[in-house]
Amino acid sequence: MIESVKIITEKIIPLIEDITLQQGIPKGSVIKDNIKSLIEKSLSIFQDEAEPSCIISEVSQNDFDKIFVGEGNNENEAPLKMIYPQADHLVLFAVTMGEGISRLVTELFNKNDFALGSMVDTVASLAADKSVELLENYITEKFVGNKLTNNGFMALSYSPGYCGWNINAQKKLFSFLQPQQIGISLNESCLMTPLKSVTGVLVYGNKSIHQFDSSFSFCFNCRAQSCIERNERIFNH
Amino acid sequence: MEILKEISAQLQFGDDEKVFELTKQAIEQKIDPQIILADGLLNGMSVISEQFRNHDIFLPEVLLAAKAMYAGLDQLKPLFIKEEIPTLGKIVIGTVKGDLHDLGKNLVGIMLKGAGFDVIDLGKDVSPEKFVETAVKENAKLIGMSALLTTTMPMMKTVVDLLKQNNLNDKIKTVIGGAPITKKYAEEIGADAYAFDAAKSVECAKNLLNN
Repeated sequence: MIESVKIITEKIIPLIEDITLQQGIPKGSVIKDNIKSLIEKSLSIFQDEAEPSCIISEVSQNDFDKIFVGEGNNENEAPLKMIYPQADHLVLFAVTMGEGISRLVTELFNKNDFALGSMVDTVASLAADKSVELLENYITEKFVGNKLTNNGFMALSYSPGYCGWNINAQKKLFSFLQPQQIGISLNESCLMTPLKSVTGVLVYGNKSIHQFDSSFSFCFNCRAQSCIERNERIFNH
Repeated sequence: MEILKEISAQLQFGDDEKVFELTKQAIEQKIDPQIILADGLLNGMSVISEQFRNHDIFLPEVLLAAKAMYAGLDQLKPLFIKEEIPTLGKIVIGTVKGDLHDLGKNLVGIMLKGAGFDVIDLGKDVSPEKFVETAVKENAKLIGMSALLTTTMPMMKTVVDLLKQNNLNDKIKTVIGGAPITKKYAEEIGADAYAFDAAKSVECAKNLLNN
Protein backbone atom coordinates (compact mmCIF):
# COMPACT_ATOMS: atom_id res chain seq x y z
CA MET A 1 0.00 0.00 0.00
CA ILE A 2 1.41 3.41 -0.95
CA GLU A 3 1.73 5.84 1.95
CA SER A 4 2.36 9.57 1.79
CA VAL A 5 4.94 10.84 4.27
CA LYS A 6 4.90 14.52 5.22
CA ILE A 7 8.26 16.24 4.90
CA ILE A 8 8.54 19.59 6.68
CA THR A 9 10.89 21.95 4.88
CA GLU A 10 12.41 23.30 8.11
CA LYS A 11 13.48 19.78 9.07
CA ILE A 12 15.50 19.22 5.88
CA ILE A 13 17.49 22.46 5.83
CA PRO A 14 21.12 21.40 5.48
CA LEU A 15 23.89 22.45 7.83
CA ILE A 16 26.08 25.33 6.68
CA GLU A 17 29.20 23.20 6.99
CA ASP A 18 27.65 20.63 4.64
CA ILE A 19 26.75 23.36 2.14
CA THR A 20 30.26 24.80 2.14
CA LEU A 21 31.82 21.36 1.83
CA GLN A 22 29.62 20.57 -1.15
CA GLN A 23 30.70 23.87 -2.72
CA GLY A 24 34.28 22.68 -2.50
CA ILE A 25 35.28 24.77 0.53
CA PRO A 26 37.41 22.62 2.83
CA LYS A 27 36.34 22.06 6.42
CA GLY A 28 37.72 24.66 8.80
CA SER A 29 38.12 27.37 6.12
CA VAL A 30 37.22 30.95 6.99
CA ILE A 31 34.01 31.76 5.13
CA LYS A 32 34.04 35.22 3.56
CA ASP A 33 31.11 37.57 4.19
CA ASN A 34 29.96 37.55 0.58
CA ILE A 35 29.75 33.73 0.65
CA LYS A 36 27.92 33.74 4.02
CA SER A 37 25.46 36.15 2.46
CA LEU A 38 25.00 33.83 -0.54
CA ILE A 39 24.33 30.90 1.76
CA GLU A 40 21.75 32.83 3.79
CA LYS A 41 20.00 33.97 0.65
CA SER A 42 19.95 30.46 -0.83
CA LEU A 43 18.50 29.00 2.38
CA SER A 44 15.79 31.64 2.37
CA ILE A 45 14.98 30.93 -1.28
CA PHE A 46 14.85 27.21 -0.61
CA GLN A 47 12.45 27.65 2.31
CA ASP A 48 10.16 29.77 0.14
CA GLU A 49 10.25 27.69 -3.04
CA ALA A 50 10.74 24.05 -2.10
CA GLU A 51 7.71 21.78 -2.07
CA PRO A 52 8.99 18.51 -0.66
CA SER A 53 6.81 15.44 -0.96
CA CYS A 54 7.34 11.74 -0.42
CA ILE A 55 5.70 8.34 -0.87
CA ILE A 56 6.68 4.92 0.43
CA SER A 57 5.45 1.38 -0.10
CA GLU A 58 6.55 -1.86 1.52
CA VAL A 59 7.39 -4.66 -0.91
CA SER A 60 7.97 -8.37 -0.54
CA GLN A 61 11.36 -9.98 -1.16
CA ASN A 62 9.91 -11.62 -4.28
CA ASP A 63 8.82 -8.31 -5.72
CA PHE A 64 12.08 -6.64 -4.79
CA ASP A 65 14.02 -9.44 -6.52
CA LYS A 66 12.45 -8.21 -9.79
CA ILE A 67 13.04 -4.55 -9.00
CA PHE A 68 16.66 -5.17 -8.06
CA VAL A 69 17.39 -7.15 -11.22
CA GLY A 70 15.77 -4.39 -13.29
CA GLU A 71 16.82 -4.72 -16.94
CA GLY A 72 19.60 -7.14 -16.02
CA ASN A 73 22.55 -4.73 -16.16
CA ASN A 74 23.74 -4.76 -12.55
CA GLU A 75 27.35 -5.42 -11.68
CA ASN A 76 27.95 -9.11 -10.88
CA GLU A 77 28.69 -8.23 -7.28
CA ALA A 78 26.95 -5.33 -5.60
CA PRO A 79 26.53 -4.59 -1.88
CA LEU A 80 22.71 -4.47 -2.06
CA LYS A 81 22.63 -7.95 -3.64
CA MET A 82 24.04 -9.34 -0.37
CA ILE A 83 22.16 -6.97 1.92
CA TYR A 84 18.53 -7.08 0.93
CA PRO A 85 17.97 -10.85 1.30
CA GLN A 86 18.85 -10.41 4.99
CA ALA A 87 16.31 -7.64 5.54
CA ASP A 88 13.28 -7.86 7.81
CA HIS A 89 11.43 -5.26 5.74
CA LEU A 90 11.95 -3.61 2.35
CA VAL A 91 10.28 -0.28 1.63
CA LEU A 92 10.40 1.52 -1.70
CA PHE A 93 10.53 5.30 -1.50
CA ALA A 94 10.40 8.39 -3.70
CA VAL A 95 11.06 11.91 -2.51
CA THR A 96 11.20 15.18 -4.42
CA MET A 97 11.93 18.81 -3.61
CA GLY A 98 9.46 19.84 -6.33
CA GLU A 99 9.69 21.36 -9.78
CA GLY A 100 9.76 24.97 -8.57
CA ILE A 101 13.22 24.85 -7.05
CA SER A 102 14.78 23.26 -10.16
CA ARG A 103 13.13 25.85 -12.37
CA LEU A 104 14.43 28.63 -10.12
CA VAL A 105 18.02 27.36 -10.40
CA THR A 106 17.72 27.49 -14.21
CA GLU A 107 16.31 31.03 -14.02
CA LEU A 108 19.16 32.19 -11.80
CA PHE A 109 21.71 30.80 -14.25
CA ASN A 110 19.89 32.44 -17.16
CA LYS A 111 20.17 35.79 -15.33
CA ASN A 112 23.94 35.19 -14.86
CA ASP A 113 23.40 34.81 -11.11
CA PHE A 114 25.63 31.74 -11.19
CA ALA A 115 26.85 31.80 -7.59
CA LEU A 116 23.35 32.00 -6.14
CA GLY A 117 22.03 29.43 -8.63
CA SER A 118 24.80 27.01 -7.72
CA MET A 119 24.24 27.59 -3.99
CA VAL A 120 20.47 27.00 -4.24
CA ASP A 121 21.18 23.86 -6.25
CA THR A 122 23.52 22.63 -3.52
CA VAL A 123 20.98 23.37 -0.78
CA ALA A 124 18.26 21.52 -2.71
CA SER A 125 20.52 18.47 -3.31
CA LEU A 126 21.50 18.29 0.35
CA ALA A 127 17.90 18.77 1.45
CA ALA A 128 16.84 15.87 -0.78
CA ASP A 129 19.50 13.69 0.87
CA LYS A 130 18.41 14.86 4.30
CA SER A 131 14.82 13.91 3.44
CA VAL A 132 16.02 10.38 2.82
CA GLU A 133 17.76 10.34 6.22
CA LEU A 134 14.48 11.42 7.83
CA LEU A 135 12.76 8.57 6.01
CA GLU A 136 15.35 6.12 7.31
CA ASN A 137 14.54 7.27 10.86
CA TYR A 138 10.79 7.17 10.16
CA ILE A 139 10.95 3.57 8.92
CA THR A 140 13.24 2.51 11.75
CA GLU A 141 10.82 3.93 14.33
CA LYS A 142 7.86 2.41 12.52
CA PHE A 143 9.27 -1.13 12.66
CA VAL A 144 10.88 -0.83 16.08
CA GLY A 145 7.36 -0.02 17.28
CA ASN A 146 6.84 0.11 21.05
CA LYS A 147 10.18 -1.39 22.00
CA LEU A 148 12.31 0.79 24.28
CA THR A 149 15.38 0.55 22.09
CA ASN A 150 15.94 -0.41 18.48
CA ASN A 151 18.32 -3.22 19.59
CA GLY A 152 20.71 -2.42 16.76
CA PHE A 153 18.01 -2.54 14.07
CA MET A 154 17.82 0.23 11.50
CA ALA A 155 16.72 1.21 7.99
CA LEU A 156 19.22 2.46 5.43
CA SER A 157 18.56 3.62 1.88
CA TYR A 158 19.98 2.39 -1.43
CA SER A 159 19.30 3.93 -4.82
CA PRO A 160 19.62 2.75 -8.42
CA GLY A 161 22.65 4.18 -10.16
CA TYR A 162 24.96 3.62 -7.21
CA CYS A 163 27.14 0.83 -5.92
CA GLY A 164 26.63 -1.58 -8.78
CA TRP A 165 22.83 -1.31 -8.87
CA ASN A 166 22.21 -0.21 -12.45
CA ILE A 167 20.24 2.97 -12.94
CA ASN A 168 17.79 1.30 -15.32
CA ALA A 169 16.31 -0.52 -12.32
CA GLN A 170 14.44 2.77 -11.95
CA LYS A 171 12.00 1.50 -14.59
CA LYS A 172 10.83 -1.43 -12.46
CA LEU A 173 10.89 0.70 -9.33
CA PHE A 174 8.68 3.28 -11.04
CA SER A 175 6.24 0.65 -12.23
CA PHE A 176 5.86 -0.63 -8.64
CA LEU A 177 5.80 2.65 -6.75
CA GLN A 178 4.29 5.08 -9.30
CA PRO A 179 6.15 8.24 -8.14
CA GLN A 180 4.33 10.07 -10.93
CA GLN A 181 1.64 10.68 -8.32
CA ILE A 182 3.97 13.15 -6.57
CA GLY A 183 5.12 14.68 -9.84
CA ILE A 184 8.27 12.64 -10.50
CA SER A 185 8.70 11.39 -14.05
CA LEU A 186 11.33 9.14 -15.60
CA ASN A 187 12.64 9.58 -19.14
CA GLU A 188 14.08 6.92 -21.45
CA SER A 189 17.58 7.50 -20.05
CA CYS A 190 16.24 6.90 -16.53
CA LEU A 191 16.65 10.54 -15.68
CA MET A 192 14.16 11.76 -13.09
CA THR A 193 12.50 15.13 -13.24
CA PRO A 194 12.32 17.22 -11.15
CA LEU A 195 16.09 16.79 -10.85
CA LYS A 196 16.07 17.11 -7.07
CA SER A 197 14.34 13.77 -6.59
CA VAL A 198 15.58 10.57 -5.01
CA THR A 199 14.13 7.08 -5.26
CA GLY A 200 15.27 3.77 -3.92
CA VAL A 201 14.69 1.17 -1.26
CA LEU A 202 14.88 1.40 2.52
CA VAL A 203 16.30 -1.82 3.90
CA TYR A 204 15.32 -2.50 7.52
CA GLY A 205 17.19 -5.09 9.55
CA ASN A 206 20.03 -5.60 12.01
CA LYS A 207 22.61 -2.92 11.35
CA SER A 208 25.29 -5.57 10.75
CA ILE A 209 23.68 -6.48 7.42
CA HIS A 210 24.59 -3.04 6.05
CA GLN A 211 28.31 -3.38 6.68
CA PHE A 212 30.48 -3.92 3.61
CA ASP A 213 33.98 -3.13 2.36
CA SER A 214 34.25 -0.49 -0.33
CA SER A 215 36.44 -2.73 -2.43
CA PHE A 216 34.17 -3.52 -5.34
CA SER A 217 35.44 -2.90 -8.86
CA PHE A 218 33.22 0.17 -9.27
CA CYS A 219 34.45 1.73 -5.99
CA PHE A 220 37.71 2.75 -7.65
CA ASN A 221 36.04 5.37 -9.87
CA CYS A 222 33.37 6.43 -7.41
CA ARG A 223 33.41 10.16 -6.63
CA ALA A 224 30.63 10.04 -4.04
CA GLN A 225 32.20 7.67 -1.49
CA SER A 226 29.22 8.37 0.77
CA CYS A 227 29.19 4.71 1.87
CA ILE A 228 32.47 5.25 3.73
CA GLU A 229 31.07 8.19 5.71
CA ARG A 230 27.87 6.29 6.40
CA ASN A 231 29.69 3.19 7.63
CA GLU A 232 31.91 5.38 9.80
CA ARG A 233 28.82 7.03 11.32
CA ILE A 234 26.97 3.77 11.97
CA PHE A 235 29.68 1.38 12.98
CA ASN A 236 32.40 3.48 14.53
CA HIS A 237 30.69 6.26 16.48
CA MET B 1 45.50 52.17 -17.32
CA GLU B 2 44.17 52.56 -13.80
CA ILE B 3 40.55 51.99 -14.69
CA LEU B 4 41.37 48.62 -16.29
CA LYS B 5 43.29 47.52 -13.19
CA GLU B 6 40.29 48.56 -11.13
CA ILE B 7 37.93 46.55 -13.38
CA SER B 8 40.16 43.52 -12.93
CA ALA B 9 40.34 44.03 -9.14
CA GLN B 10 36.59 44.48 -8.68
CA LEU B 11 35.93 41.44 -10.86
CA GLN B 12 38.19 39.44 -8.56
CA PHE B 13 36.17 40.71 -5.57
CA GLY B 14 33.03 39.57 -7.38
CA ASP B 15 31.47 43.03 -7.35
CA ASP B 16 29.31 42.96 -10.47
CA GLU B 17 27.82 46.41 -9.87
CA LYS B 18 31.24 48.06 -9.70
CA VAL B 19 32.46 46.17 -12.77
CA PHE B 20 29.36 47.33 -14.63
CA GLU B 21 30.00 50.96 -13.67
CA LEU B 22 33.72 50.88 -14.38
CA THR B 23 33.25 49.19 -17.75
CA LYS B 24 30.70 51.85 -18.64
CA GLN B 25 33.22 54.56 -17.67
CA ALA B 26 35.99 52.89 -19.67
CA ILE B 27 33.74 52.82 -22.75
CA GLU B 28 32.87 56.51 -22.21
CA GLN B 29 36.58 57.25 -21.99
CA LYS B 30 36.83 55.74 -25.51
CA ILE B 31 39.19 52.99 -24.45
CA ASP B 32 39.35 50.28 -27.15
CA PRO B 33 36.75 47.59 -26.23
CA GLN B 34 39.27 44.87 -27.06
CA ILE B 35 41.64 46.33 -24.48
CA ILE B 36 38.87 46.69 -21.87
CA LEU B 37 38.06 43.02 -22.48
CA ALA B 38 41.64 41.74 -22.43
CA ASP B 39 43.24 43.94 -19.76
CA GLY B 40 40.19 44.42 -17.57
CA LEU B 41 37.80 41.49 -17.65
CA LEU B 42 39.91 38.58 -18.92
CA ASN B 43 42.84 39.73 -16.84
CA GLY B 44 40.67 39.50 -13.73
CA MET B 45 39.33 36.08 -14.72
CA SER B 46 42.78 34.70 -15.36
CA VAL B 47 43.80 35.65 -11.81
CA ILE B 48 40.64 33.96 -10.56
CA SER B 49 41.39 30.83 -12.61
CA GLU B 50 44.91 30.64 -11.24
CA GLN B 51 43.72 31.07 -7.65
CA PHE B 52 41.04 28.41 -8.19
CA ARG B 53 43.59 25.99 -9.64
CA ASN B 54 45.82 26.59 -6.63
CA HIS B 55 42.89 26.07 -4.22
CA ASP B 56 43.29 29.60 -2.86
CA ILE B 57 39.68 30.33 -3.67
CA PHE B 58 36.68 28.10 -4.24
CA LEU B 59 33.65 27.69 -6.46
CA PRO B 60 31.45 30.49 -5.02
CA GLU B 61 34.18 33.10 -5.57
CA VAL B 62 34.72 31.91 -9.14
CA LEU B 63 31.01 32.20 -9.86
CA LEU B 64 30.75 35.64 -8.27
CA ALA B 65 33.65 36.74 -10.45
CA ALA B 66 31.93 35.23 -13.48
CA LYS B 67 28.80 37.26 -12.77
CA ALA B 68 30.95 40.37 -12.62
CA MET B 69 32.65 39.40 -15.88
CA TYR B 70 29.29 39.05 -17.62
CA ALA B 71 28.22 42.45 -16.24
CA GLY B 72 31.14 43.97 -18.12
CA LEU B 73 30.96 41.68 -21.15
CA ASP B 74 27.31 42.45 -21.85
CA GLN B 75 28.22 46.11 -22.32
CA LEU B 76 31.14 45.35 -24.62
CA LYS B 77 29.33 42.88 -26.87
CA PRO B 78 27.37 45.47 -28.91
CA LEU B 79 30.62 47.29 -29.60
CA PHE B 80 32.07 44.24 -31.31
CA ILE B 81 29.34 43.86 -33.90
CA LYS B 82 31.41 45.31 -36.68
CA GLU B 83 34.60 43.51 -35.76
CA GLU B 84 35.42 40.03 -34.53
CA ILE B 85 35.45 39.57 -30.77
CA PRO B 86 38.98 38.40 -30.05
CA THR B 87 38.91 34.79 -28.88
CA LEU B 88 41.19 31.83 -28.36
CA GLY B 89 38.86 29.75 -30.51
CA LYS B 90 35.28 28.51 -30.79
CA ILE B 91 34.01 25.68 -28.63
CA VAL B 92 30.62 23.99 -28.79
CA ILE B 93 29.42 22.58 -25.48
CA GLY B 94 26.35 20.74 -24.29
CA THR B 95 24.87 17.99 -22.18
CA VAL B 96 24.28 14.87 -24.28
CA LYS B 97 20.95 13.53 -25.50
CA GLY B 98 18.70 12.12 -22.78
CA ASP B 99 20.45 14.05 -20.02
CA LEU B 100 19.20 17.24 -18.38
CA HIS B 101 21.97 17.84 -15.85
CA ASP B 102 23.63 21.10 -16.80
CA LEU B 103 25.23 22.66 -13.73
CA GLY B 104 28.66 21.23 -14.49
CA LYS B 105 28.36 22.10 -18.15
CA ASN B 106 27.37 25.66 -17.22
CA LEU B 107 30.44 25.97 -15.00
CA VAL B 108 32.64 24.74 -17.84
CA GLY B 109 31.08 27.33 -20.17
CA ILE B 110 31.77 30.08 -17.66
CA MET B 111 35.39 29.05 -17.15
CA LEU B 112 36.02 28.70 -20.90
CA LYS B 113 34.49 32.11 -21.59
CA GLY B 114 36.55 33.58 -18.77
CA ALA B 115 39.65 32.14 -20.37
CA GLY B 116 38.86 33.91 -23.63
CA PHE B 117 37.14 31.19 -25.68
CA ASP B 118 34.04 31.82 -27.75
CA VAL B 119 31.53 29.35 -26.29
CA ILE B 120 28.43 28.13 -28.11
CA ASP B 121 26.30 26.47 -25.47
CA LEU B 122 23.72 24.12 -26.97
CA GLY B 123 22.12 23.48 -23.60
CA LYS B 124 20.93 20.06 -22.54
CA ASP B 125 19.55 16.95 -24.22
CA VAL B 126 21.64 17.67 -27.31
CA SER B 127 21.61 15.12 -30.13
CA PRO B 128 24.92 13.91 -31.58
CA GLU B 129 23.96 15.38 -34.96
CA LYS B 130 23.37 18.80 -33.41
CA PHE B 131 26.81 18.82 -31.79
CA VAL B 132 28.51 18.02 -35.09
CA GLU B 133 26.33 20.25 -37.31
CA THR B 134 26.83 23.23 -35.02
CA ALA B 135 30.59 22.72 -34.80
CA VAL B 136 30.83 22.57 -38.60
CA LYS B 137 28.52 25.54 -39.17
CA GLU B 138 30.31 27.69 -36.57
CA ASN B 139 33.78 26.53 -37.58
CA ALA B 140 34.41 25.39 -34.02
CA LYS B 141 37.55 23.42 -33.28
CA LEU B 142 36.33 21.65 -30.16
CA ILE B 143 33.22 19.91 -28.91
CA GLY B 144 32.83 19.60 -25.14
CA MET B 145 30.28 17.08 -23.87
CA SER B 146 28.87 16.46 -20.41
CA ALA B 147 26.91 13.44 -19.14
CA LEU B 148 25.88 12.50 -15.63
CA LEU B 149 24.22 9.15 -16.26
CA THR B 150 25.69 5.82 -17.32
CA THR B 151 22.73 5.53 -19.69
CA THR B 152 23.59 8.74 -21.55
CA MET B 153 27.38 8.38 -21.70
CA PRO B 154 27.21 6.29 -24.89
CA MET B 155 26.00 9.39 -26.75
CA MET B 156 29.53 10.72 -26.43
CA LYS B 157 30.85 7.82 -28.50
CA THR B 158 28.17 8.51 -31.10
CA VAL B 159 29.49 12.06 -31.50
CA VAL B 160 33.08 10.85 -31.79
CA ASP B 161 32.04 8.24 -34.36
CA LEU B 162 30.04 10.82 -36.35
CA LEU B 163 33.09 13.03 -36.58
CA LYS B 164 35.21 10.09 -37.79
CA GLN B 165 32.60 9.00 -40.34
CA ASN B 166 32.60 12.51 -41.80
CA ASN B 167 36.41 12.85 -41.72
CA LEU B 168 36.11 15.69 -39.24
CA ASN B 169 38.00 14.17 -36.32
CA ASP B 170 41.27 15.88 -37.20
CA LYS B 171 39.60 19.25 -37.59
CA ILE B 172 37.23 19.07 -34.59
CA LYS B 173 38.48 17.68 -31.28
CA THR B 174 36.39 16.32 -28.42
CA VAL B 175 36.65 16.66 -24.66
CA ILE B 176 34.30 14.86 -22.28
CA GLY B 177 33.42 15.10 -18.59
CA GLY B 178 30.82 14.34 -15.95
CA ALA B 179 30.47 12.24 -12.80
CA PRO B 180 30.52 8.74 -14.39
CA ILE B 181 33.18 9.68 -16.96
CA THR B 182 36.78 8.52 -16.60
CA LYS B 183 40.00 8.96 -18.53
CA LYS B 184 39.78 5.28 -19.46
CA TYR B 185 36.32 5.79 -20.92
CA ALA B 186 37.53 8.76 -22.93
CA GLU B 187 40.33 6.62 -24.36
CA GLU B 188 37.95 3.73 -25.10
CA ILE B 189 35.61 5.86 -27.16
CA GLY B 190 38.33 7.82 -28.91
CA ALA B 191 37.65 11.22 -27.33
CA ASP B 192 40.65 13.52 -27.49
CA ALA B 193 40.60 14.50 -23.84
CA TYR B 194 38.92 13.95 -20.47
CA ALA B 195 38.31 16.85 -18.11
CA PHE B 196 37.84 15.92 -14.46
CA ASP B 197 36.34 19.31 -13.62
CA ALA B 198 35.63 22.77 -15.01
CA ALA B 199 39.14 24.05 -14.26
CA LYS B 200 40.69 21.10 -16.09
CA SER B 201 38.42 21.73 -19.09
CA VAL B 202 40.14 25.06 -19.69
CA GLU B 203 43.55 23.38 -19.63
CA CYS B 204 42.32 20.69 -22.04
CA ALA B 205 40.86 23.28 -24.41
CA LYS B 206 44.09 25.28 -24.46
CA ASN B 207 46.17 22.15 -25.08
CA LEU B 208 43.93 20.80 -27.83
CA LEU B 209 43.50 24.09 -29.65
CA ASN B 210 47.14 25.04 -29.43
CA ASN B 211 48.13 21.75 -30.94
